[in-house]
Amino acid sequence: MVITFLRTVCRSIDMAVMLTGKAAGYLMPFLAFVVAYEVFSRYVLGKPTIWAFDLSLFLFGYIAALGGAYAQQKRAHINVDILYVTVSHKTRCVFNLLSFALGIFFLLVIFKMSFGKFEEAIEFDYRRKSEWAPPMYHFWVMLMVACGLFMAQLGRDMLLDLYYLFTGKALIEQESDDGN
Amino acid sequence: MGIELLTGVLLVCILTFFALGAPVGLALGGIAMIIGYLTWGEGIYNIIPSTIEATYFSFILLAIPLYIYMGQLLTKSGIGDAMFNASQMLIGKVRGSLAISVIAVCSMIGAMVGIIGAGIMTSGSIALRPMLERGYDKRLALGVIMAGGGLGILIPPSIPMIMFAATTHNSVGRMFLGAMVPALLMICLLVTYVIVSCRLNPDKAPLLEEQEGVVALTTKQKFITARDGFFAILLIVVVLGSIITGIATPTESGAIGVVGAIVLAIVFKRFKMEMFQSAGLQTAILVSVAMWIIFGASVFSNFHLLMGVQSMVADFANGLDLPPIMIIIMFQIIMLFLGFIIDEFIIVLMCAPLFTPIAVALGYDPIWFGVLMIINILIAVQTPPYGFALFYLKGIAPPDVGMGDIYKSVTPFILLNLVVLIICMVFPEIVLWLPNKVMG
Amino acid sequence: EFNWRFSNLYTRGTAFGAVYEGLAKDIETMSDGRIAVQVLYSGEGVSTEGLLGAVKAGLITMGAPFQPMNAGELPVGVVEVGLPGGTDDPVKLKALFHDQGWGEILEKAYGEQGLVWLEPYIQTPVYIITKNPINSVADFKGLKIRAPGAYGKFLRNLGASPVALSWSEIYTSLATGVIDGSIGSNLIDHRDGNHVEVAKYMYPMPLAGAQVLPIIVNRNAWNKLPEDLQAVVRKATENHAQEQLTKSKLWETEAVTDMEANGLLWSPAASDADKKAWAAAGATLWDEYSAQDDYSKQLIDILRKNQ
Ligand code: NA
Ligand code: NA
Repeated sequence: MVITFLRTVCRSIDMAVMLTGKAAGYLMPFLAFVVAYEVFSRYVLGKPTIWAFDLSLFLFGYIAALGGAYAQQKRAHINVDILYVTVSHKTRCVFNLLSFALGIFFLLVIFKMSFGKFEEAIEFDYRRKSEWAPPMYHFWVMLMVACGLFMAQLGRDMLLDLYYLFTGKALIEQESDDGN
Repeated sequence: MGIELLTGVLLVCILTFFALGAPVGLALGGIAMIIGYLTWGEGIYNIIPSTIEATYFSFILLAIPLYIYMGQLLTKSGIGDAMFNASQMLIGKVRGSLAISVIAVCSMIGAMVGIIGAGIMTSGSIALRPMLERGYDKRLALGVIMAGGGLGILIPPSIPMIMFAATTHNSVGRMFLGAMVPALLMICLLVTYVIVSCRLNPDKAPLLEEQEGVVALTTKQKFITARDGFFAILLIVVVLGSIITGIATPTESGAIGVVGAIVLAIVFKRFKMEMFQSAGLQTAILVSVAMWIIFGASVFSNFHLLMGVQSMVADFANGLDLPPIMIIIMFQIIMLFLGFIIDEFIIVLMCAPLFTPIAVALGYDPIWFGVLMIINILIAVQTPPYGFALFYLKGIAPPDVGMGDIYKSVTPFILLNLVVLIICMVFPEIVLWLPNKVMG
Repeated sequence: EFNWRFSNLYTRGTAFGAVYEGLAKDIETMSDGRIAVQVLYSGEGVSTEGLLGAVKAGLITMGAPFQPMNAGELPVGVVEVGLPGGTDDPVKLKALFHDQGWGEILEKAYGEQGLVWLEPYIQTPVYIITKNPINSVADFKGLKIRAPGAYGKFLRNLGASPVALSWSEIYTSLATGVIDGSIGSNLIDHRDGNHVEVAKYMYPMPLAGAQVLPIIVNRNAWNKLPEDLQAVVRKATENHAQEQLTKSKLWETEAVTDMEANGLLWSPAASDADKKAWAAAGATLWDEYSAQDDYSKQLIDILRKNQ
């Protein structure tokens, strides 16, 4: 019963993280288009836009932040795995618990500060400094989402490690054993 | 806590969490925030928003997604491979020739991008797989990508050079010209190393005809390979041209490369809608990986800077009582050590204004000193355990490549860079000849 | 007794650094060492862009920010720095801030965001450097000039096309021709960026009279000071303002000499018609900024009344 529940939670997190990661991927051609359009508009039409600079930076930030959780799901984040690959599965679980806990702490700080900035941005109507002056608040909301998903993914991974530590069995079958 | 002790504690924490295999970016940020909380209090968390705005809103870093996307599109459409296949039809009989064409392509990419991340990850996206598929030694392939991609900051345009020139009131033009001959020297040494080491260990770089199951190409296939390869090179030339002729900035030209890659794929009927998505997703993951490291590392170094690491370095530099050339050598060693914990931009930002006036007062040429600093940074970002170039390379490498492989693969290439550094140090003319000749 | 961190808008190594170091020393000696001040430069923990936010949050105790960078967070700061058409006369500027009411309004505007606004200081104005000479205002037509925010709008009114670029790409962009010109935060900035190597002509008229920049302190840190120390800090910022005025003039002259040695040429002096076009281009900006937020409106109303 509990196990089924845990599995459902894990699978839901996996799904949400994957969908967000894919959405970030879809922003990429859009980013390239915005920058290319600025070049076209400036060089061919002789009329630089006032929006491409900030819009491209926003898109860049969205892609970079939102892809974080999905990269964790794919075990794509860089680690120094020299010792890591030589130890047993259980030791690796302990290592993960320590480093993911540190990661969650860091993400929690970002989440908290982003929320503060979001409130400030709403109260004082913070904008970018450019002539176009787009509002900033959505960026902080996005960061909260990105950090939330990243924490959820790390939490899910920690849950799997804990389960393995105590039962010696994998909570979810297809979880690969090499941690990579 | 004094800054010396704090630096020690931070270093120990980094090594511990690196050993545990923690994700690098999260570990660096997390360590800084925990130690910051213990030494400074909750107020240190306020470093997060300003660091977010400085890293995520950096137009310079935008080169990373744009160039990687271009690289991914070229690879996924098969046009990138065609470029190397075509080169093999020309020089395929030379052992290691594929690695040499990779160095050539990396040099061209180096002339387009101005930061290390874009250099290595673009070169890796395009050129790593073709080498591995042909049975090249993993370490040789990775090392070539690292060394070639690093040329991004040595071949103009180069953001660290612009930063050096600005903080020390020197000519950007002179810096760019001063780095040209050392860059050329570096490329020659790289090519020589590849040829010699492949002679000594033929297994490292198998020739195409040695591989089993390779069927000779028909004339039509040869024509298609040559044609696609030619257009892929043409695309690189066009991107370079768009920078030189002032159509786009080095950052923006990545987007021109993306459009060009799409057009080529459509013209040669290699375009699939699915490509957009898979290249985009792959790019998003790589960009995320790079940016979470850059962000975590920035939080870390911003904390360290607020605590006053720069005054520690300044006191140390000013307190050196040594013969002039020994001081220059000490500076190089300090920067190499800083490379353990600090990224390329911060090294320039911190060391250029601290060290250059001392070097000039000792009678050395600032441009020479600046070029030494750039080569030194190139080495610092490649030296284990902490080096951005290493992280970028691991990001782009296949999953079965561990950090240990990366460390081992870069060692000979770091030595090559050291040789260039020492040659430039001993013979300043190598740096100064070209700028003096062109700019008087 | 009190440990302060003071961060300024310049990177380490620029001439202005000495003046901010001087302010820090002043506070230390005048307070008999009761306040210790650590000087930080741009990029050392906090970038120039993040400085305002860092002082608000208390990460940095005292800051010398560059307000055009904070146009989105504190629009009134842009008006405070000086809109096109403003004066460069230090006496008039002093009157504006101290006698005609700008000071009170700014204290309130900064106070609202948790900041204490201290004696502002004057730095030399913004100039445009171009690849080709500007013989008359008509030559601005179609020119691509790197100019953010208010200066960009102003140049658009003159017929130019403002371009947004990061500072570190100005040199390359001027060299290759992506842009035809660029503004610098002052003449010294053009010298430091080596722009003369790739664009020879300086337009001999500043975009705005002079730049007035604030010194700000985090309110909580300020309130912790006893009154005598608050007075000490105030006095030190007044001395600093004087020092900036003399030094920045001197350094501007030096920068011009350096650039002229590297081949800088001046575009011909602006005609009366050009000056009128200049004033007209600035006038509409005043309206735009007035409409933007209430504090800006109050400042501009005072400006108009005392013109
Ligand atoms: Na380059
Ligand atoms: Na290193």
